[in-house]
Amino acid sequence: MQPDVDNQLPVSTPKRQRISEANATGEKRTNGDGVLELTPSKRVKRTPQKPHSETPAALKASGLRTPSNRSKAKALFSTPTKENIVSTATKARADRSAKKKSAQLLLEQDEEDIWDGGDRLAEEILAGENDATAPINKQDNGVFETVEEGSVETTMEKTVATPKRRAGRPKGAKNKRSPTPEGELPAHERYFFQNRAGPPRTSNNNLNKVNLLNHEEYFEKHAQRQDPCKREITFLCDLHRRSFSQWDFEFYQGFNICLYGYGSKRTLTQNFADWLYRKHGFSSPPSVVIVNGYTPNVSIRSIFATIVTAVLGADIPSKMGSQPIEVLELLQSVLKSRPSQDPIAVFINSIDAPTFRRAANQALLARLAATPKIHLLATADTPNFLLMWDISLRDQFNFVFHDCTTFAPFDTEFDVVEEVHNLLGRKGRRVGGKEGVEFVLKSLPENARNLYRLLLTELLSMADDDHNAADDDMDAADGGAENGPKDEAGIEFRALYQKASEEFIASSEMMFRTLLKEFHDHQMITSRMDTSGMEILSVPLSRDEMEGVLEDLVLG
Amino acid sequence: MMDADVGGLAEDFSNNQGVYIYRPALAGISQGERPSKRRKVAPEPKKSNDNTCPFVPLLNGDESEKSVRLRYQTYEQLWSTQEAKIQEILDDVDAEVLECVSSFVRTTSPEIYGGCIPAALLTVGSNVSSLARLLARLNDQLTSTGEGSVIVLESGDAPNLKTTLKNAIRAAIINTEGNDGYQSFLTDREGPRLLGYDLDLLGDYVKRKNIKHLVLAFRDSEAFDPGILIDLFSLLSSWLDRIPLTLLFGISTSVELFEGRLPRSSVALLKGSYFELHGASKCVDHIYERIQAEGQFWLGRSLTGVLFEKSSDYFQTPEAFCRTVKYTYMSHFFANPISVLLASDIPDDLQQDRLCESIRNIPSFREYCEILLEDGHTRRVRDLLEDDSYLFQQTIQLIKAGQQSMHDMFQAVRFISLLLKDLNIPKKANISELSIRALSGELQDSPLLEDILAAFRRLDSSKIEEILPHLPEAMTKLPGFRDIETDLRALLQTHKGPDPLRSEYDSQNSVIGTTIVQQRVKLNQGKAKLPEECVKYTGIIDCSHALLSSYFGTILIRPQELAFHEAFLLDMRNPIKEVFAPRPRFAIERALSNPFDYLMFTSQNTESRISAKQPPTSILYQLYLESGALVNIHDLWQAFHAVFESEQGDGCDERMTMALFYRAVSELRALGMLKHSRKKMDHAAKSAWMGL
Repeated sequence: MQPDVDNQLPVSTPKRQRISEANATGEKRTNGDGVLELTPSKRVKRTPQKPHSETPAALKASGLRTPSNRSKAKALFSTPTKENIVSTATKARADRSAKKKSAQLLLEQDEEDIWDGGDRLAEEILAGENDATAPINKQDNGVFETVEEGSVETTMEKTVATPKRRAGRPKGAKNKRSPTPEGELPAHERYFFQNRAGPPRTSNNNLNKVNLLNHEEYFEKHAQRQDPCKREITFLCDLHRRSFSQWDFEFYQGFNICLYGYGSKRTLTQNFADWLYRKHGFSSPPSVVIVNGYTPNVSIRSIFATIVTAVLGADIPSKMGSQPIEVLELLQSVLKSRPSQDPIAVFINSIDAPTFRRAANQALLARLAATPKIHLLATADTPNFLLMWDISLRDQFNFVFHDCTTFAPFDTEFDVVEEVHNLLGRKGRRVGGKEGVEFVLKSLPENARNLYRLLLTELLSMADDDHNAADDDMDAADGGAENGPKDEAGIEFRALYQKASEEFIASSEMMFRTLLKEFHDHQMITSRMDTSGMEILSVPLSRDEMEGVLEDLVLG
Repeated sequence: MMDADVGGLAEDFSNNQGVYIYRPALAGISQGERPSKRRKVAPEPKKSNDNTCPFVPLLNGDESEKSVRLRYQTYEQLWSTQEAKIQEILDDVDAEVLECVSSFVRTTSPEIYGGCIPAALLTVGSNVSSLARLLARLNDQLTSTGEGSVIVLESGDAPNLKTTLKNAIRAAIINTEGNDGYQSFLTDREGPRLLGYDLDLLGDYVKRKNIKHLVLAFRDSEAFDPGILIDLFSLLSSWLDRIPLTLLFGISTSVELFEGRLPRSSVALLKGSYFELHGASKCVDHIYERIQAEGQFWLGRSLTGVLFEKSSDYFQTPEAFCRTVKYTYMSHFFANPISVLLASDIPDDLQQDRLCESIRNIPSFREYCEILLEDGHTRRVRDLLEDDSYLFQQTIQLIKAGQQSMHDMFQAVRFISLLLKDLNIPKKANISELSIRALSGELQDSPLLEDILAAFRRLDSSKIEEILPHLPEAMTKLPGFRDIETDLRALLQTHKGPDPLRSEYDSQNSVIGTTIVQQRVKLNQGKAKLPEECVKYTGIIDCSHALLSSYFGTILIRPQELAFHEAFLLDMRNPIKEVFAPRPRFAIERALSNPFDYLMFTSQNTESRISAKQPPTSILYQLYLESGALVNIHDLWQAFHAVFESEQGDGCDERMTMALFYRAVSELRALGMLKHSRKKMDHAAKSAWMGL
C-alpha cells in the first residue's frame, strides 16, 4: 500500500498539511523547500499518517476537492473543533448537523463569534456533500480520524513550537510574513521586503459588518469635531502669512510662486489675496483671479477668458474664440497693447488636480505664466507634482517654491466619502444607498418601478436559492467573492426580459432597454459580461437594502 | 459679467466655483457698502504706486523707513547693473549663429534649392532656451526691416494639420498686425470668407505686406507628430511659389535621428543647411565670472556649488541660472539689514541704535574685535563697542576694504585661469571650479598654484610680454613691480635676436649630461652656458616669480575671515536650494510621519509615538507605514480606532472616529498613497514607500 498510493497520498496529505500548517503556506511558497513538502519524496515524513487513509477512492475524492482555492490559506484552526470530536461516535448525525451549522454560518455572517477559519471549515464540509455519499463518510471518517490521531503532531506544529518539531520550526518562524520587518530597514529594502512574491498575508476581515458613513453623517460628524491641534495649525498659518510681503516682492520681481506641502492651501491663498487688497489699497485694487483646480468643470479656456474679463472689464470682445490658445493670444495681445496695465495675479488652487494634469493643459498654463504682467501663484497638493513639468515648462513657469504645510483639511478639494467608497470599490454607494434608490424610483414611471421590483425579487430569490441549496453555484459565488462583494450575484439579461414581458412590463426589447437605461444612469444597476458572454444584471446594494427597497416598493 | 456676480458671494460658493475674480470679503466692503467704496476712489487717485517699496522693515520692525528704502534702492541699483551685463553676454553668446542663420534666411530661396523648401536645422542639445532667444532676435531683425517675420510653432500647437495651419497663420498675422488686425484680416476681404486654416490667407498677407522671408520655426521638432510634418511639408511645398517660406527646426538630439523619423519623400522636399548652438555651460561660466568679478556683492562657496550643480546636472538654462542669481540678490537685500551698508552713498543720519546693535552682533565683528584685542588695541575695541558713530565709520571702511579684497580675489582667479591657458598646464580647471576653490580658501598653497609658479619660471620673454598687459591691477600695484617691468623693458629693447630670451629654468637652456658611474647611467642636469642677456632675464624672472607668489599669498584669502563679510557675501545654501529645488514628497512625508515638526506642540510631549492628539491623516499614515503592500482597510480602521479608543476610553465616539478615518483615507488616496485593489475585498494597495 505504501508505495502504491504515492500518487494519491500526497494529494490527500496536503489537505491535512494545509489545515495544520496553513500559517506557513505563505512562506512555504517563497522558500524553496516549501515546494518539496508537496512532492512525493517527502512522504517519509508522512508515514505515521498513512494508515488512516483507508481507501484510494476516498483519497481521490478528497483529492478532487482540494484544488478549489477557497481552502487554500487560513484554514488553520479549523480542525480541532467540537464537531470533530462528536463525529467519531455518530457520524451521520454529526455530519448533518455540521452541514446545517455551516450553511447557517455562511448565511448569517454577522454573527459575533465568527472565528477565522469558520467559513473555511463550513465551506469544506458543504463541499464535501457534492461527492458521492458513500465516500463521504469514509472520507470524513478518514479526516477526522487523522485529525485525532495526528493531532499530537499537527497541533504541535501549528500552535507553539514543541520540542519535537523545534528543529524545523524556527526556520518557518523566521520566514513568518510579518509586514513590518524587525529593525530599521532602509527605504528601498523595505520596498522589496514588502513586495516579495507570494500571496498577501492580510486577514480576511471586511467591512461588511461595519456601517459605513454616508455624506450627511460624515459632514455632521465633521462639523462637530474639535481639532486638538487647532492652536498649532493656526500658528503655522500665521507663520506662512508672515511671508506675504516676501511673496509680493517675488511677484514684483517677475517670479511666479508655487506652494506645496501637506494640507489645503486654499485659505492661505485667499488670505494672500486679502492681504494684496489691503496693501495696495482699495483705491487701486489689484486684479486677482482665483482658480479652483479641484472643481471638475473648470477648463483652461474659462481661466483665460476670466483673466481677459479682469483686464478689459466691460469691453470684452464679443468673440474670444473657442480654443484656449486663441483666448490666450488675445490676452497676450491685450496686455501688450496696454503698457500701463497693472499686473494680474492669478491664483490656481491645486494646479495638480486631475483635470489639469494633462501635459497639454500644463503647457498652456506655463504659457500663461510666462506672459509678462501675469503673476501666477499655484498650489500643489500631491507629493509628485513636479513630474508634470519638464525643463522647458519649468523654465516658462519660472517658479519659486515655498513649503506651505498647513495641515488644514481638504474639505472642498476632495469629496471624502466618495473617495473612500471608490477606494473600497463600492461605487454603488454613490446613489446614496437605499434612500437614493428609493428617491429615484419615486420619480420614475410605474413601469420602471415594476421592473425594478421584478429585478429585486429575482435577485433575492436567486440569493436565497443559492444559500439554501448551497450547490455548485455556491462554489462559483465563493470564487467570485474573492473579487467582489457577494451581492454581485446577478440575473441574466434575457431571463429578466422574459419575465418582464410575461408581466407586461415591457412589450419590446427596445422598451426594456430604455427602462434599464434609466437605472443605469442613476447607477442603480450594474451590468457585466460573464464568461460565456451573457449580460448579467445586478444591483449594487446589500441584501438588507435590497429587501428594504423591495418592501417599500411592494407596500408603496 | 463675472464680477457682477461675484461681488458679495458667500465664501462657500466661491470655493466651488471653478474660476472667478476675487473680491475681498473684508468687513466694510460687503455688497451694501459699495457706494462708500466708490466715494473713496474719487477724491484720492493715488499715485503712490511708483514709490511704494516692496521691502519690509527688519530688526523686529524697528528699521527706519529710510533705511528700508535705501536697502531697496541698493538692491535695484546693484542688480540692474548686473542684469545689464548678463543681457550683454546672452546677446553676445549666440551672435555668431544668429548672424549665420539670418544671412541664410535672407539669401535662400526655393529657386536656389531647385524647388525644395529651404530649411535650417539647428541643433541645440540641452540648451533649450537658446533657440527661443535666437528666434525672438531673428524675428526682431526681420520685422524691423519689414522683410518678414518668424512664426514659432510648438508641438502643443500641432495636434492635427488644420489646427497647425490655423495656428501658424494666426501667429504670422498677429505677430505684425496684432489680434485686432487678425480679426479684421479675416473679415475685411472681398469674396467669400476664408476659413482660419486656409493658406490663401497667408498668401494674401504675404502679398499685402510684401514679405520676402517668412520663417516657420519648429521649436521642439522631435515632439511633433511625424505624420503632421509630412502632410505639412507636402502642402507647403505646393504653396512655395506664393509664400516665401523658410523652415527652421530646433533639434535636441541629432540631425540623423530627426531625418530618420521622416520618410524619404518628405525629406526630399527639404533642402538647407545645418547650424549648431553651443552648450549652455560655457555661457553660464561666463556669466558667473562677470557677476563675481565686477560686482559689489558676492556669492559664497556653497551657493556657487548649488548654482553650478543646478545648471550642469539639471540642464538649467542660462536664463534660469540668472534668475537664481537674482534670487540670491533679492534674498540678501530683503532679509539682511546690514546689506544697507552696501549703498553707494550712505547718509550720515542712517546710523541708528538698532543697526549698530545688529552690527555688533554679527560673528565676524566679534572675531575682528578678538583679533584687535590680541594685538593689544583695547582702546579701539572699547570705542567700537561704545561709540556708535565710530563703529559706523569703521564698518563702512572695513566693508569697502573687504569688497576690494573680494574684487582682487576674483581678478586673481581670472588671472589664474588665463595663466592656465597660456602656460599649457594640462590640468583643466574652469572658472567655476577655480572660484569655488578660491571662495573656500583652498587655492592658496594648492598644487595647482605650485604648477603655475613652476611653469611661470620657464616662460620665455615673448610669452611674458603677452601676459604683461593682463596682469591684475593688484599685482601691478605691488612694490617692486615697476622696477621689474622697467628692467624687463630695457632688456627687451637691447635684445635683438630672433629667438626670445629664455631663463635658465627653460628646458632649452639646460643640458642633460649622461655619465656612467659604476655601470649605471646617471643623468645630471647641467646648465648650459648662458649668454649675458639670459642671465639678466633669469634674474628678472626670479624677481617676478617671487612677486607673483607673494601676490597670490596676499590675495587668495579665505573670504569668511574678512571683517563684516556678512554684508557683502552670501553663503547659505538654503533659501536657494529650497526655493528652486524643492522636495515636496519629502515635505509631505515628514509632515505626516512627524507632524510635530511642523506643529509646535508646546504642552504635550512630542515623542514620535502615535497619539490621538495628532492630525488624523498622520495617525493613519504612520499605521500605513507599518503595513505591507496590500492593506486591509478593515484592519486599518480597527487599528485607527484603537488609537482613539485607548486614549479617550469610553468617551470615544466611534462614528466620529470613523469620520476622521474617512478623511484620512481620502487624503491618502488623493495624495496617491493608496489605490483600489482588486486582489481582495476591502483591501487597498500601497503605492508609496517613504523615503524612496
